[in-house]
Amino acid sequence: MRLTVNGTEHEVDVEPDMPLLWVLRDELNITGPKYGCGIAQCGACTVHVDGFAVRSCQLAIGDLVGEVTTIEGLGTPDNLHAVQQAWIEHQVAQCGYCQSGQIMQAADLLAANPQPSDADIDAVMGGNLCRCGTYPRIRAAIHSAAARLQEA
Amino acid sequence: MRSFALLLTLSFATVAFAEIENAVIDVPEEGSVTTEEGLAAFQRVYEVVSHPRCSNCHTGADNLPMWSGPSFGQTRPHGMNINAGESRMGVETLVCSTCHITLQEFTEDSNAIAHAPPMTALPWQLAPVEFEWFGRSAAEVCAQLSDPERNGGRDWVGLAEHLVDDAGHGGFVLWGWNPGGTREPAPYSLQQHVDDVLAWGAAGSPCPDE
Repeated sequence: MRLTVNGTEHEVDVEPDMPLLWVLRDELNITGPKYGCGIAQCGACTVHVDGFAVRSCQLAIGDLVGEVTTIEGLGTPDNLHAVQQAWIEHQVAQCGYCQSGQIMQAADLLAANPQPSDADIDAVMGGNLCRCGTYPRIRAAIHSAAARLQEA
Repeated sequence: MRSFALLLTLSFATVAFAEIENAVIDVPEEGSVTTEEGLAAFQRVYEVVSHPRCSNCHTGADNLPMWSGPSFGQTRPHGMNINAGESRMGVETLVCSTCHITLQEFTEDSNAIAHAPPMTALPWQLAPVEFEWFGRSAAEVCAQLSDPERNGGRDWVGLAEHLVDDAGHGGFVLWGWNPGGTREPAPYSLQQHVDDVLAWGAAGSPCPDE
């Protein structure tokens, strides 16, 4: 089975019902996306497929259509995505377990809606849980990233 | 805002599923079903469309999918602050298919995991707002199904064909009777439902008073 992740094509020998998250973490050693609940209740496993946020624990590899981007492919330490920069600026992460999913969902939000209101942010980010309760910082960082992208 | 059309083109994959049987359409002769039989058939149709498997996503202009029925305990809007928007598929905020994956093929194993978001081979979405069934009476649903302005321009045979066509794409109609997880299926069966829609139509589409 073939898939493209962060611009690189991979061939994996797995059953078609294996979730994409398993393929990424166990087969390709791409461990940015996290396992939280396994049933799309938490958002920790969020990646992009052709630019759209998707819960990778729910997407069987046999159902994958499109190119995958994980947090590793969103930006690099030398060339951070605006959301990643804002995350550092606001020191959003506490334990950090949910943050790769949060950042991928926030990047998807800003691609669709460059100037989100608080209500827009809540509507999109409501499916990404943070058990440390960093939601006020997540909101602030998304507003900062939006402003940075507007300047660019 | 990215285009809705893109999302649609991404998702209509060819579906060939052998594992779950579709219904067949056997149109009764017009007038061969009495009004009384037609009303009884409609009552069964209403039991189906008002069942949570159907009505939870046939909601009104607030665009909120509902969580109701025996799988959910108390009735409430979909958790996670979800609103499907005027697109009815969440394009304005969070697309339904972020979690409700569009399958290549709908099989009996597609929704095996309890409490995971249900999936079909069509992109997850609310029904068009004209098809508001949640909380509506039998008389209201009957009036809507009888009105081409509010039923997608269909006559009674067209409604039955719509059911079989959706099921043939591994869509929501097929899912209603094969919901997986711990969800209660819609009552009767897909075939019985199609037969009841046809019987109701052949009787002249009689509607109950309430």
